[in-house]
Amino acid sequence: MTDDRAFLKGNEALAYGALRTGLNAYFAYPITPSSEIPETLAAEFDRRSYPAFRTFLQAASELEAISMVIGAAATGAKAMTATSGPGFSLKQEGLSYAAGMELPMLIVDVNRAGPGLGNLGPEQSDYFQATRGGGHGGYPTIVLAPASVPEMAAFPALGFDLAFEYRTPVTVLADAFLGQLKEDLVLPDVAAPVYAPEWAATGARGATRHVLSSLHLELADQSRHSHHLREKRDRIAAREPRAEEFETDDAEVVFVAYGICARLARRAIRLLRARSVRAGLFRPITLAPFPADRLRRLVAAGRSKLLVVELNAGQMVDDVRLAAAGGADVRSVGEMGGLLPGSGDLVRAAEAMLR
Amino acid sequence: MSAAAEVYVPKLGALTALTGTPTHYCAGCEHGTLTRLIAKAIDELEIRERTVMVSSVGCSVLAHEYLNVDAVQAPHGRAPAVMAGIKRVRPDLLTFAVQGDGDAASIGLLELLYAANRGEPITVFLVNNAIYGMTGGQMAPTTPIGMVTTTSPSGRDATSTGPPIDATRLVAGFERPAYVKRVFLPIAPTPIPRVYNARGALEGAASVRHAFEVQERGGFAFVEFVSTCSVNWKLGILDAKRYAADVLRPLFPPGVYRDRFGVEGR
Amino acid sequence: MKREMIVAGHGGQGVLELANWLAYFHFLEGRHVAYTPSYGPETRGGKVKCYVVASDEPIDSPIVEEPDLLVAMNIPSMDFVPLLRPGGTLLVNSSLVSDGPPRTDLRVERVPAAEIAAGLTRFLPEGARDASIAANSVMLGALFGVTGEDPDRARTAVDGLFRHFLTDRKAAYVPLNVHAVDAGLALLGRRPVPA
Repeated sequence: MTDDRAFLKGNEALAYGALRTGLNAYFAYPITPSSEIPETLAAEFDRRSYPAFRTFLQAASELEAISMVIGAAATGAKAMTATSGPGFSLKQEGLSYAAGMELPMLIVDVNRAGPGLGNLGPEQSDYFQATRGGGHGGYPTIVLAPASVPEMAAFPALGFDLAFEYRTPVTVLADAFLGQLKEDLVLPDVAAPVYAPEWAATGARGATRHVLSSLHLELADQSRHSHHLREKRDRIAAREPRAEEFETDDAEVVFVAYGICARLARRAIRLLRARSVRAGLFRPITLAPFPADRLRRLVAAGRSKLLVVELNAGQMVDDVRLAAAGGADVRSVGEMGGLLPGSGDLVRAAEAMLR
Repeated sequence: MSAAAEVYVPKLGALTALTGTPTHYCAGCEHGTLTRLIAKAIDELEIRERTVMVSSVGCSVLAHEYLNVDAVQAPHGRAPAVMAGIKRVRPDLLTFAVQGDGDAASIGLLELLYAANRGEPITVFLVNNAIYGMTGGQMAPTTPIGMVTTTSPSGRDATSTGPPIDATRLVAGFERPAYVKRVFLPIAPTPIPRVYNARGALEGAASVRHAFEVQERGGFAFVEFVSTCSVNWKLGILDAKRYAADVLRPLFPPGVYRDRFGVEGR
Repeated sequence: MKREMIVAGHGGQGVLELANWLAYFHFLEGRHVAYTPSYGPETRGGKVKCYVVASDEPIDSPIVEEPDLLVAMNIPSMDFVPLLRPGGTLLVNSSLVSDGPPRTDLRVERVPAAEIAAGLTRFLPEGARDASIAANSVMLGALFGVTGEDPDRARTAVDGLFRHFLTDRKAAYVPLNVHAVDAGLALLGRRPVPA
C-alpha cells in the first residue's frame, strides 16, 4: 500500500489526475454532476499544494469559463474546464474557436441524462456532440472515454499530451455514474511535463509575432487552413485510436461498449460464459478517433456478431456499423433517462443474437 | 485614402507597433485613429514585446493585421474573458482589446461587466459608433432612439427595444474598476465654418496611455470612444461628425468616470 | 473474498455516510472497493440506495444486482429483499421496520439501531441532545458483526475512519460514533457468518 492509494469519487480523481499532470489553470462554472471537479480544485488551489497550479477562477457562465481557457491556453498554459450536458452545449462556441486557432486544452463532460435539463443521472447521449464536434465549422476532435475511477485520474495526462501534440482541444467524455462512483485507485505520479510551445502568444520577440486567429477572410486562406485541419484529423485518426479487448479471441458475440457500459458488459460476459456462451468485449478508449481499423480486423477475424451497449438511443452504433462495413450483424441495446441496463438485459440480447 | 481623412489623421511618424499594413477602415472612421493612438502608446511605454492583443468581433476584428503585437482571437463578445485568462496565468503580460458596441454592450455585456466587477487588470477600448458597422448597419445597443438602421427601419423605438445602453456608466457602477473614461473621438465642429478641432484625438492619446499604465498598476481600465460610422449612418463624413457632436455627445457625455490611481491629474 | 451490498433508507438517516464508511473500511483493509451513491434531489426525506462492492479482485461492474447483504434502514428499503441471493443476510433497522421479510432463505438480523443510539446520550458533545443520529454507526458495528470482522481490527479501523471523515465541527461526534459502532458489534459480534 502506498501513500498514493486513495478512495475517491471519479470527479475528484479526475481533478487530482489533472493536478498531477501539472495543471496551470482551471476556469469553473459549476453544474451537477460535475461540480466535485471544481470543488476539489478550489480546495487544492487554496492549499497551494501544487506549485504549477496558478489559477482557479469561477466564471460567470460556461461561455466566460471556456473563453478564459482560450486566453490561458493561448499563452501555452495547461488549462481546462469541466461541465455537464447543458454546459457542454455552451462550451461548443469556445471549442470551435479553440480548434480553429489550434489551441490545446482539456474539456470534461460528465454526461447527464436527456436533452434540455433532463436529469442528473448517467447517459452517453453527448457522444455525437463530442465526437463530431458540436461547434460550428468542422474541426478535428479527440474524445477519451474513461471506464473507471483510476482512468478518470489517468486520462488528464493522456489528454494534455494529445492536446499539445496536435494543438487541439481534447474532451474527456465521462458520465454521471463515473463522476459519482467512488473506487480505490493509485493516483498517477506527479509528472508535470512543461510544454513551452513556440506558437504561444506571450509577446512579440523582435520581428517574430504570434497571431492566434481563426479568421481567414481570403477564401484561399481559409481553404488552406481547413485542409490543414482535415490533414490533422486524418493524422490523428491514423495514429491515435485506442481500444481494449476482453475475451474476444473465441467470442461468438462481442459487446462493443465504452465507459460504464464496458463494466456492465464485463459482468454480462462472465454470466454468459457461465452459461457456455462465448462472449467478449471490444471497448473503444478513444471515441474520436474511433478505433475503426481494429474493430474491422476483429470482424475480419470472424467476430461477426457485435452487440453495442450505450446509454442513449443508439449513437456509437453508427460508428460500429461504419467500421464493420456490412461484415457483421450489428445490434444495439441500452437504456436512457439515467437508468442502466441490467445484466439480464445484456445476457438476453446476446443470446438473442445467437439464435 | 480620401483628402478629408488625410487632414484629420494625425501624422505621428513611423511606429514600431504598427505593421504598416493599410487598414480596411472606411474613410472618416475613428477605428483608424484609435489604431494609431494604441500603437503610439505601446511605443512610448515600450511594452510591445510583452503585450498580447485580444481581437474582438466587429470592425476591429482585423486589428492584429495593423498592430504589430501578439494577438489572440476571442469569440464574439468574450474578449474580456480571454484577457482574464491570459492575465491570470501571465500577470507579467499586458493585454487589451478594441471592442465594438455590439461586442461589448450586447453579446458580450456579461463578460465586460464581470471582468469589471472582478477588477481584472486588463484594458478595454470600446468604440461606440451607435451601429453595427461590420455586419452592415443593424441596430446596436447604443443606437439612439429614432435612428434608422436596417433592423430598425422606422427608427429605434424605446417601447420595443429599450433605450440605448450606456456601457461606461454600467462599468463605473462597479466598485473595482480603476479607470473609466469616455472620450469624444471624432473631430468636432467649431463655431468657425469648416474648421474642426481634433481635441478628441489628443485626449484619446492620453487616455490610451493611462489605460495601459493603470493595467500595469493592477487596475481594470476601460475607455469608451464615441465615434462615427458615416457609411452606415448614410451621412457624409463631415455630416457624421456633426451628428455625433449633436446627438451622441449629449447621450454619451465624455468625462472621467473613475480614476482610482489619479493618472489623469499628472 | 467478494461482497456485494446494498444500503438503503431515507435521507437524513446517514445512509450515504454509512455506505461510504463501510466502503472505506474495506479500502483500509486493502481491498478493491466500489461505492455508488444514489439519491433523490432532496437532502432529507428522499429515497437513498447505495451499492458497495468489496473484493480482493478488480471489480467488473460496481452495480449490485444480487446482494449478499442488504441493510434496510426503513420500510421502503424492504423492496430490495427479493434481490438478495439465497442465503444472503438482511440487516433490518427494527426501530422503523417491524415486519419480517417474506422469505425464509435468508439470515435476518433485527437491530433497534435508533433505540441503541439513543441510549448513548452521555457520549454526545456539549449542547447536543439527540444521540439517535448515531443509528447509522450502530448499524455499521452490527454489519461488522454479521460479516465476521475481527472486533479489535474493526475498532481500530473505525477509529481511523471517523478521524478521516468526522472533521471540523463533526469531530466532537467521534466518541458517540465509536461507542455506537461498539454497541452494534456487541449486539451481533458473536454470531458471525462466514464471508
